[in-house]
Amino acid sequence: MRLMRVVLGLALWITLGLAQDAASEARRLEAAGDAAGAEGVLRAAASAPGASLEALTAHAEFLDARGNPEAGAAYDRLLSAEGLPGSRAQRAAAARRLVLLSLETGDVAAASRYLQRYRELGGTDWPKAALSPPAPEAAAWTIDIPGPFESFRRMAAISEDASPETVLTSLARNVVTSGYQAGAGKEGLVQTEYLKLLIRYLSQARELTKLSGPDRHIRIEACESIQAGDLLRTLGYRMRGACGTEVVLETVNATRAFLTIDSGFPLADLEQALRLNRPFVLDYRPTRIPAAWDPASLLGPRERQPVDLLDALLADPTLSRLYLGLSKPDPETAAELRRAIPLERLRAFAHVLDFFGGMFEIRGGRAVVPGGARAERMWEEMVGAPPREGVRFFDRLISRDDGWMAGYFDALARLDGAVLNYLTEPERMRRFYLAIRGRVTSPGPARPVFQSNTDMLLLTTRLRLDPDGRPHIPGGLEVWKALFAEERAGRVDERLARSARNWRDPDDLVEALFALCRRIVDNDPLRSFLALSDLNRNRQRPLEPSTVDRLATAYRRYGAQFPVFAEAPALGDGTMVQFLETAERLSAIRNLDVQADAVGVMQALVGLWQILCRQGTIPAAEADTALAGILSLFKETRSAADVFVAGRSGVAALLRAAGGKGESQPQERLISLLSGGDRAAPSGFQEQAAAELRGHFEAQRLIPLNLLFDVAAHAERAARGEKPDTALAGRLASRLADIDSPRSLLTSAERNAFQSGYWPDRHIESQRRVNVRSLMERAGQDPGRLRDLQGGLAPMLRDSLVGLNYAYYAPPGGQLLRSNSSFVRSHDFIGMPGSRETWRTPAPVSSGWPAGAGGRLVGSLAGLPYALAQAEQNFLIPTREQALIWGDLVPQLIQSAKVPRWWGVTPAQMHWVGLHLRLASSLLAEAALDAGRRAQVLEALSRQAAPARVHRIARLLERGEALRAAEAILPSESFFLARQLAGQAAESGHMLAARIRLMPAEAPEQLDYPAISRAFGTPKPTLAGSYKPELLHLRTFPALMGYSSRILAESWESSTLYWAALADELHLPPGQLNLAVPEWTKLAIERIFASHLEDWPAVLQSLRYVGDDLRRQRRQQAAALQNASIELAGREQQ
Amino acid sequence: MRIRRPGRLVVALAAVPLALLVAQEAQQPLFRVKVDMVVLTFTVTDSRGRYINGLQPGEFRILEDGIPQRISTFSEGNRPALQVLPDGQTRPIVPPAETAGLEPVPAAADALVGTNVFILFDTSNYMYRGFVYASDAIADFVRGLDRADSVAVYTFSRNLSRTAPLTTDRGEAIVGLRKAVAGDDSALYNAMLLTLRDAAKIPGRKVLIVFSNGPDNASMIAPDDVRAVAEDEGIPIYVISTNEVNRDPVSSAVFQRVTNRTGGKAYFARTWQRQVEAFENIREDLGNAYTVTYYPAPNPNEGFRRITVEITSDAGKRYRVRARPGYRPRPAS
Repeated sequence: MRLMRVVLGLALWITLGLAQDAASEARRLEAAGDAAGAEGVLRAAASAPGASLEALTAHAEFLDARGNPEAGAAYDRLLSAEGLPGSRAQRAAAARRLVLLSLETGDVAAASRYLQRYRELGGTDWPKAALSPPAPEAAAWTIDIPGPFESFRRMAAISEDASPETVLTSLARNVVTSGYQAGAGKEGLVQTEYLKLLIRYLSQARELTKLSGPDRHIRIEACESIQAGDLLRTLGYRMRGACGTEVVLETVNATRAFLTIDSGFPLADLEQALRLNRPFVLDYRPTRIPAAWDPASLLGPRERQPVDLLDALLADPTLSRLYLGLSKPDPETAAELRRAIPLERLRAFAHVLDFFGGMFEIRGGRAVVPGGARAERMWEEMVGAPPREGVRFFDRLISRDDGWMAGYFDALARLDGAVLNYLTEPERMRRFYLAIRGRVTSPGPARPVFQSNTDMLLLTTRLRLDPDGRPHIPGGLEVWKALFAEERAGRVDERLARSARNWRDPDDLVEALFALCRRIVDNDPLRSFLALSDLNRNRQRPLEPSTVDRLATAYRRYGAQFPVFAEAPALGDGTMVQFLETAERLSAIRNLDVQADAVGVMQALVGLWQILCRQGTIPAAEADTALAGILSLFKETRSAADVFVAGRSGVAALLRAAGGKGESQPQERLISLLSGGDRAAPSGFQEQAAAELRGHFEAQRLIPLNLLFDVAAHAERAARGEKPDTALAGRLASRLADIDSPRSLLTSAERNAFQSGYWPDRHIESQRRVNVRSLMERAGQDPGRLRDLQGGLAPMLRDSLVGLNYAYYAPPGGQLLRSNSSFVRSHDFIGMPGSRETWRTPAPVSSGWPAGAGGRLVGSLAGLPYALAQAEQNFLIPTREQALIWGDLVPQLIQSAKVPRWWGVTPAQMHWVGLHLRLASSLLAEAALDAGRRAQVLEALSRQAAPARVHRIARLLERGEALRAAEAILPSESFFLARQLAGQAAESGHMLAARIRLMPAEAPEQLDYPAISRAFGTPKPTLAGSYKPELLHLRTFPALMGYSSRILAESWESSTLYWAALADELHLPPGQLNLAVPEWTKLAIERIFASHLEDWPAVLQSLRYVGDDLRRQRRQQAAALQNASIELAGREQQ
Repeated sequence: MRIRRPGRLVVALAAVPLALLVAQEAQQPLFRVKVDMVVLTFTVTDSRGRYINGLQPGEFRILEDGIPQRISTFSEGNRPALQVLPDGQTRPIVPPAETAGLEPVPAAADALVGTNVFILFDTSNYMYRGFVYASDAIADFVRGLDRADSVAVYTFSRNLSRTAPLTTDRGEAIVGLRKAVAGDDSALYNAMLLTLRDAAKIPGRKVLIVFSNGPDNASMIAPDDVRAVAEDEGIPIYVISTNEVNRDPVSSAVFQRVTNRTGGKAYFARTWQRQVEAFENIREDLGNAYTVTYYPAPNPNEGFRRITVEITSDAGKRYRVRARPGYRPRPAS
């Protein structure tokens, strides 16, 4: 409809002869957020007979800036506009832009043609560039894999998107991580089922190859042929029934048949061919894939003959580890290491190379070391070889102290800027290394399945410096001295506690923190330091020493709640302490039912406060007062009635803080605020978001706040002598009757017989038993009984408030909330006796328990978005037959789509992000032509990407393959790249860069990097201690012990930036992001096909799949609309 | 446009949502009425468990909470559905354009021909040993389905996979089945729920057949949640467990309750032969089931509505009817 209005409006506009004002009108529409309208105006002006150069240029540049693929055609028109005054220069500019656009789409031939035109029109840039389609990259070494590539990848659990050159590395990784396990007794390592199946499959594939004849095609000419029998025998099947339509294939050898099915052999096609007595032909040629190394150079003399590399990798996990390890540094570095270090020595330290070799770099024979020239001498001293002797340096590095030195090198090499300078000051560097190394070096950080230097990476990433260049110590050094000496922030070893008393300098504390990085569990002192450091990061006033002391002491029990404090930078120290005191007071309530209700109501109110602060609905200046006000309501809470009264007042306090004045409809008001409320102009998107919230609330059969408060208010009036309102009581009673008790299909006796454990229906049953009418009547007769009614309402109020939190963060799809109507009510704030779950991060429990009532969450509400996403992730339906969706990355992706909201985002902000991503793509195209630009691009990228990837991008750009280079770069890296180079590009006249520079002048508060970080960042509760969305521009993390891929997922900042640019390209209003981003994220997750835990290219690929689908749909819609408008115009003419 | 809702009668039921344009007198406004229909599938057997065929619509009395319902369409096995007129006579279903003045019938009459069979195949580690035999048994079952039936093959381990979408092409379904990949954990009840959600979008008669070893170690959904959805959507669940009934008493008990409550049946078939027999029984069930549709008569109960199927003839008193016990209407939106 909107496009139709635009079309009709345009027709009118053209007839009014306003062509001269097209550009200004388009600017006006664009500023108002109507990009589609602006495009229509410019298109009409450019399509008008005798369109001016300005009109053509404006149209082409508009399309270009929006990433519209029609930009090329528009520039082409401009290029053809000969004879117009002043056209030569603009035509040359168009040709120049076409060169880049062609390279961006991978059309080197077109780029070459346009380059020629550009030069003909007097263009002087890129004088040395000569474009020709790149020759295929020839692999120096290859190996043959028997049978179809697809079957092998299925059996080896390698993504079907994996390119041939990455297959052996992926295979080596899978052999290392999933191929072997410890055997019983003295067996040593034994093959896992995964590896056994893969080896059996290869054996079967080789047998099938023998059946395939000289041309490597399996041919069955007739059902009754010998070949058919041989083939079926190899496959593990036989024919049942006579040849012809009766024939059916059935299993005769289960082991072989399993491989046949699991590898995707086209058994159904074979069966059909046999039934119809038609020939069956299957291409069974081996697949030739590149190997990174000469197989002979990797195999020991014993293995070399006649074993091939594939079999050797499967048979020997150390060889696989070596292959994997050598894939980590860039190829030049790896080649030098391989050349100079004996094979057996490399094998011995392959695990270190695998985990920490990614940042190794040898340039001109020298090792590139963190800290540069200043630190070289100290590296030489620590490692035992000078960096100028690159190979020897890394040889010594990997062989030192079981990997601690290499892990330290890796952690420092990932850093940049002031923190790097601080940590690589030579003396300090040695001191901290000795701390981390300790006296006993084994086991090293590369020994476990995941690298275990997690805390070291977190410490170096999260360490902050004060303006004087010294490390930021929350509360000051004296506080931490006391905390460590008295072990109040958690246990530390005796020596450390003793030494703490003598600390004089912040470096002393940092040294202690490095020492603590060795501890894998029970590391509260380090983690509390990091949490408080994160807390101070965005605060307007740093925490007072006494607050730091209080918080650090309470970290063990309440640390999971600290990200709540990070939502409001102006939160007072007193309010944080008040939070802890309230938590302690509520935890001391003896009656566990009342305690759970009190804690639930308090946490739910805090959760809503957190949401409203994050959305900006509660102004920053009001945040502290609002939270303090809510907490103060729980000061005297002891009974259920107290819980209700505090909860009701808490809702009123929240609404007041959000600008309300005595709301009569708190339920609707809260839903309105949660779905954008006053943050956005009213739109259908807000209504949809509100409907979604209401839908979840209703599916859980929760009781609206209005009804609860009305009943309570009426009872209070009845206690003063008014007549009880039976209709009101009836309404509540009917809602209560609707509450489902968590049911099992089993009888109690069966449950007792089959399973034992906690049955979470007490809280629910207590609500079902409430007789509202009777309680109201009693309150009317005896005002002292009013509290009975209030107490009866408390569990319902808890569920309604908790339910609003759940509904807000409900993952896309929301099957659990839709299908398990007691999910919210089953939230367990207490946990098993003695487990102290009340203030911990929540987690799903009771999954996979058919005798139970379904899964539920146990713990606090801090971390609810992640826990809900965890609980929901198994409801996603992968679109591939074999999709390796993994446990920690998916919840974080969902969380990143649900925590941020975009009600306050402007179209200009979205466009600005889009411009950055498009500029990055254009700069890469230019880098394929211009060595100077290439150097700038690679330098900027090296601050985000590992050397191996930078190396690959460099090679691709040298070959003129800008598209493939762009495909190897994350959207977050593109954004960073454009941010770094926009200034230089603008000076050289780049249109996109010029727009990036000019736009902030129109809206300086919206269009700066901090504002974009807030708008399109992601929550990082583990990595940055906050749910507040932000962009940190960190290198992508590896999978880490204790966190698996969760930290990797938190360092992933690309999705939202990609969606923002996509929405800009599709002319979607920002409000739509609130609905679209969760849905797009779900679609993207369902398309992920990853080969391993760190396979972020698979995530990127799935984003692009969804983007391409949406673009295709958009084009189809536009074409349909255009056809409809043509048809309509035709009818009107008739 | 005014929306006419006949009081509490407009309930979204476990069935085919049907938007009908009811044309009134030419000069009167046009009312758009949303009516939802109940599809009820049941079998009738004698005391020895033999199917009773050939009963006529007039021989059945359908009650909801004791309130008699007027049958709208009737079919037996995979025969085409018949429209049941107010006087109890039947006639073939004709396209909507020809039904002026008659009772509303489903817009897509062929939606009630044949059964939409959703097969859910457990490919988790628990099925590892029997995986290929199960695949053979399912393939046999698919081949033997009535021509009028459609079939979808889904597989699951931790997540669901739509291996072959609903199709009348048996070959396509078997190709999908034979592509199944062995997985790891089992989220059986999650997968059942998701399959039911898919099935609920399809008009007409449908069943869910689960082929599983039984254990579940990853579902967040309870079996009773699955039962509730199946009951409300009118989708009988059949389970073929490859385990012996005593080996996993929890799953066995759950399977029996879920299937009974939805009008389906559980089979415990450890061997391949027993699995084939189980499939044969299910096929027979489908071929001998009666399907009626009706628009619920006024009923103030918005909670669980108990359905009773009575056979009015004297002989019928000795027969046993197997049907879902009722459903819970969704609130009108």
